[in-house]
Amino acid sequence: MRWSYIIPRFTLLALVWAFFYFAFDPILKWAMIKGLEKGAKAKVEIADVKTSFLPPALRISALAVADSKEEYKNLCEFSALDLKIEGRPLLEKKFIIDKASLSGLKFGTVRKTSGKLFLAKEETPEFVKELGDSSKNFALDRAADIKTDAISSYKVDPDSLESVKLAKELEQKYNEDYKALSAKADFQKYQARMDALKADYEKAKGESNPLKKAGDYAKAGKELKKLSEDFKKDRAEIEKTLADAKNSIKAIEEARRRDTSSVMAKLKLPSLDKASLARMLAGPVVAANTEKAWKWLAIARKYMPQSANAKALANEAARGRVVHFPREKTWPSFLIKEMSLSGELGLEEPLDYNGSIEGITTQPKLYGKPLTAEIKGRKGARALYFSARADASGDALKTKTSLKYSGMAVNGFKLGSENSISVDVKGTGAFKGDFTTEGTALRGFAVFNITGASFLPKADAVKAAPVKDALLGAFNSLNSASIEADISGTLTSPKFSVDTDLAKALSAAFSKTLGSEVKKAEEEAAKKVDAALEPYRKKLDSLTSAKETELKEKLGAGEKSIGSFSDGMLKNLKEKAAPGGLKLPKFKL
Amino acid sequence: MNPLGLIRQFVKGITTETEPPQIAAAVALGFLIGLLPKATLTAQLLLILVMALRVNFPMALLTIFATILVNPVFDRITDPLGYAFLTAPALAPLWTKLYNMPVLPWTGFNNTVLLGGLIFGLVMFVPVYILAKKGAVVYNERFKIKVMNSKLVKGLKSSWLMDWYFK
Repeated sequence: MRWSYIIPRFTLLALVWAFFYFAFDPILKWAMIKGLEKGAKAKVEIADVKTSFLPPALRISALAVADSKEEYKNLCEFSALDLKIEGRPLLEKKFIIDKASLSGLKFGTVRKTSGKLFLAKEETPEFVKELGDSSKNFALDRAADIKTDAISSYKVDPDSLESVKLAKELEQKYNEDYKALSAKADFQKYQARMDALKADYEKAKGESNPLKKAGDYAKAGKELKKLSEDFKKDRAEIEKTLADAKNSIKAIEEARRRDTSSVMAKLKLPSLDKASLARMLAGPVVAANTEKAWKWLAIARKYMPQSANAKALANEAARGRVVHFPREKTWPSFLIKEMSLSGELGLEEPLDYNGSIEGITTQPKLYGKPLTAEIKGRKGARALYFSARADASGDALKTKTSLKYSGMAVNGFKLGSENSISVDVKGTGAFKGDFTTEGTALRGFAVFNITGASFLPKADAVKAAPVKDALLGAFNSLNSASIEADISGTLTSPKFSVDTDLAKALSAAFSKTLGSEVKKAEEEAAKKVDAALEPYRKKLDSLTSAKETELKEKLGAGEKSIGSFSDGMLKNLKEKAAPGGLKLPKFKL
Repeated sequence: MNPLGLIRQFVKGITTETEPPQIAAAVALGFLIGLLPKATLTAQLLLILVMALRVNFPMALLTIFATILVNPVFDRITDPLGYAFLTAPALAPLWTKLYNMPVLPWTGFNNTVLLGGLIFGLVMFVPVYILAKKGAVVYNERFKIKVMNSKLVKGLKSSWLMDWYFK
């Protein structure tokens, strides 16, 4: 035996062992940091990662993810995450964790060092920008010297109007949709099926074998039922599209209102309707919080399967594709059955909370249970309750999230913007929010009430003394405030509406000092916008009503024809089939 | 044996297999390993096999790195090849059985590039071996003396490292 043969091989094996003993954990830690930094677009720190193979376990200590928006703040941090992995499924490359624990979870903590990653670019969603800008762009410069003459001489360019753009888009969309709907409502395809059915029936009538005859009749009955169901389905779909089209026209009205405000802003005049004022006051704070929530949602969606058939991660393999086969004993690729959670909320006088998350998995259909989370916390008058449910076992991911936080001290809560009017509010706050999604559709409502409130308004942008005084005194009689936000639409194109009762007080103050002048100017601006929009709206209205009539006529004729055919055919089938005791399906149009 | 001696033995051990068949086998195995995704049990086992066999280890490593550089090109062949095998109805029972066995999922056999790479690498094993062997023979016959007499090699040979190595 040669040493020159044994020693190299033994040394290489020793190097492999040394790698797992000394280098595996640091490399895993480095990979985790890089992966998380890519997702968070900010620095990530992990104090320690420890793995053990017998029994398989992983412990991550002191993880902090920096906030890409605030250089010296953390998005979140935790003290320890412990995962105990089951051995038998691991042999099949399945990571099943029966119990996990996450402790010391905190949000928004202060960092000593910068968390900025220099090459990472953080994009603010367009709707958040719009919401935030609603305060900055609120014009007050010329509030004191309004002249409707300025409006009269102002020329509105239709192409610059949001409502005109929307009307054009809708017209194009309707033309495409109606083309498809018209093809769907076309009676020719049903006529062909009715003819075929009639031929089958005649053929069955001439059949000498009674068993085959009964079978053919039953088949014809089934086909008749399917024909009727298909027509009903097409009709429902057409009617739904028509109803959706009508609803979309309502969006033009919203856009028209925004166009009026925009014209007023261009002329440096304030738009004093309550909705605009509410947007101006609550827009920035709702935008800032929505942006944070949107970021968490984006992270969650990235790692959450969107449906039972979707893969957990787009890049399941760095190279090539992974083909899955049926399993005799099935485990999801990754599953945390239950994870206990504890941490603190808030930086000054933190509120301790704890709870659990169940069913975190990459293959929800296989696991068969939805992900659920429940977190509770109580300290003195403060109470926190959070619950979430995500069900991806169907065709589309359905989520339901609810958050209630009451009794919190509100200090330095700022509404509005320095560019227009701002109000610092102090008091005791209570938040309640519900948010649901189904596929890409979303719906949410949040309300933040502040009781025992004191207000410190600032209106440095307003130069005219009477207007400024009226605005500064607008909140004197109030001792509470309520801010509401409503979200709908889709994840790619969400629609926001915000409201606050402070807007009512502000509107009253404005009206008192310069209400009539602003109102006149606003009416003038609305007229201008209406005049520019009118041709497009008329065109759209005539298009929708003409197409609607055409489709309804087609549907009516089809219904009549299929109805009479079905009745006749059913009667015949019943008569022919009754002697054999054949049971025909019941249906009606 | 002192630690320096151990290192010397190690270096010597992994560089001594210089006969044309040993170099050719190293190139063929290196090509096969180079085609596969490395974070799989298959690639790691093949690497241990290279270490266990009396083949030229540095040449195997060199071939692995060279193949990695052109992987994007080979993936275009191996991915559809692997996919065809993995989705072939006749082979479905075999893959399902393997998929349900412990440890085997770690080999990554159900990855299209791995299976395709394994098949492609095995098919190409003999041609690559023959070509590499011919190359080694040609090198020994025509270039070895020239290379050994080159200024660079002579300079290296006269260095303390070589002196220590050949001691």
